Amino acid sequence: MKDQKPVLTRRDFIRGTIGMTIGTSVLGFKWPQGEARAAGSSLVTVVRDKNAMDSSKNVDRSILEKMLEQTLIKVTGQKNTKDAWLSLVKPNDVIGLVPTDHLNPTHDEVVNVVKSSLVDAGIAKGKIRLAQGGPSNPKKCDSLIALPALKAHWLTGIGTVMKLYIMYSGSPSSYHKGDSSKLGEIWNLPFVKGKTKLVLVDSLYPLCDKGPQPDPRYQWHYNGLIAGSDPVAVETVCLNIINEKRKTIRGEPWPLTPPPICVEAADKVYGLGTSRMEQIKIEHYGWEHELLL
Amino acid sequence: MNAGNLNLPKTVGVWNRPDSPRVINSKNIFKYMNGAGELYLGYRFRHLEVFEYTSGSQDNILVELYFMETSDDAFGLLSLDWGGDPVSFSSPPLTALNKSFASSTRALYGGGLLRAWSDDTYARVMAERETPASKEAVLALGKAITAKTINPPEPGLVKALPLKIGSDWKLRLDRLSFFRSHLVLNSIYYLSHENILDLDLSSEAVIVPYEHISDSKDPKRSQFLLVQYENLERARKALNQFHDAYLPEYNKEITADPAANSPSLFKLEDGWLAYKLLGKYIAIVFECPDQESAETIIQTSEFNLLKKEGQS
Repeated sequence: MKDQKPVLTRRDFIRGTIGMTIGTSVLGFKWPQGEARAAGSSLVTVVRDKNAMDSSKNVDRSILEKMLEQTLIKVTGQKNTKDAWLSLVKPNDVIGLVPTDHLNPTHDEVVNVVKSSLVDAGIAKGKIRLAQGGPSNPKKCDSLIALPALKAHWLTGIGTVMKLYIMYSGSPSSYHKGDSSKLGEIWNLPFVKGKTKLVLVDSLYPLCDKGPQPDPRYQWHYNGLIAGSDPVAVETVCLNIINEKRKTIRGEPWPLTPPPICVEAADKVYGLGTSRMEQIKIEHYGWEHELLL
Repeated sequence: MNAGNLNLPKTVGVWNRPDSPRVINSKNIFKYMNGAGELYLGYRFRHLEVFEYTSGSQDNILVELYFMETSDDAFGLLSLDWGGDPVSFSSPPLTALNKSFASSTRALYGGGLLRAWSDDTYARVMAERETPASKEAVLALGKAITAKTINPPEPGLVKALPLKIGSDWKLRLDRLSFFRSHLVLNSIYYLSHENILDLDLSSEAVIVPYEHISDSKDPKRSQFLLVQYENLERARKALNQFHDAYLPEYNKEITADPAANSPSLFKLEDGWLAYKLLGKYIAIVFECPDQESAETIIQTSEFNLLKKEGQS
């Protein structure tokens, strides 16, 4: 086997050589070393409110609306929600809202406040559609708003942003095993590429282990919305929160396993954004308790 | 076996179930639970029956009954997480009958979710919202599910594991997992995205950390992996493949000769790795802080395995 292509193993993660190995073993081409994105930072906002969801898991819609407003203004740098949306989408765009629809789904309240907010910004109701599902969905949209729910995933490590568009591939099971590192390629399909204007992660009640099946022992009230226009940066911040929560549960480092290599691949192979914390500017607003960042 | 044999009550507390379950098999499992289906297909899965208990005033209770080919497979699913509060539905409690934690713990409850191993069935009973009433109902359902089943022992491979290695190392029973698939292995202890140990449904494996007995708040741990294949040839081939993928820069020293006492030892980035082919078994220890401990863990396990083989 010495003459065969190298296999990605645990040792690559310890040595920091996953790039070299994954390039040739999993992805079938060379991993660009240290290039990825131009210098600069991606902004990720974390907006939390202690009362966004109560102990019985009821979501307070009015609080959620305020959290969304704050998120939009901070992410875009605009003065109000309307201007914020119109800096992201065109008034005549067909806008697809893409929630996690199954197993720890995105809360309906999150989808609904986004929809209302778009309508308030002057987007016609008929131009806003739910776009989760097969490839025909993104094909009908000019813009996509990614609305995943924050959760760990036993096959890919994390099952939030990169995994959200798996159905757009038309063959989701092709991304279940070692090939989950290729999830980023779906974002570069011609009918998907460049359409995602905002990634808004429902982190009201995340799941930090045993996903995607719900397990209440690993779910907690984070009561937050995590957002940005760089999907990889948003996913990287989500990963950080999940890993920190796991550490607090076990009282010792408890990293996600398998390691979520789809995130680093999304950066270094597919050029979708940055997975380097030093290139991510996190702005946090609201509830400080167990911020995990 | 199906839910009809388990006598699930029609009503529990204020919750009622439909007459018949939703039946999920290996063909439609992804439709029901997306990628989570791979977990159950990584064991010998037969089918799943799902009941939703509903109430006019309370959130639903979901009952999922996973019918597996063997009791070992149901045990394996529970063994992926020993967290939660142990629940005993038998009288006298199994803890009084069994010395081993792994064989005495058949059900665990936490946060509204009950997970249970009952013969060849693995059950998940989950209240969407945990309340005193829903907890009572979930536990009542657990009792009903386990009432008429026998309690077979844990997989033989588990029993082969030494609980202590000399006076230095103790086995972490609460982190012991039984599995057959490399995907499941990776969710416990990541080795490679490829199936470098050639695992499949015909193989059996356990992974468990041994923890150094010390007063340290951060005790050293070594991961121990024991795999059983159908025969010696499969085991030898798998170990060869593992060596090529995991230790490509080292020469191989694989022998099935029991007289060869020493395991193969390698100093890696995260500590010592030792492996040994033991007939149709492979024993591997990872992340050992020193060569001597790595050797001792393999040799003690080999001794236990031979003892077990001699008894069977």
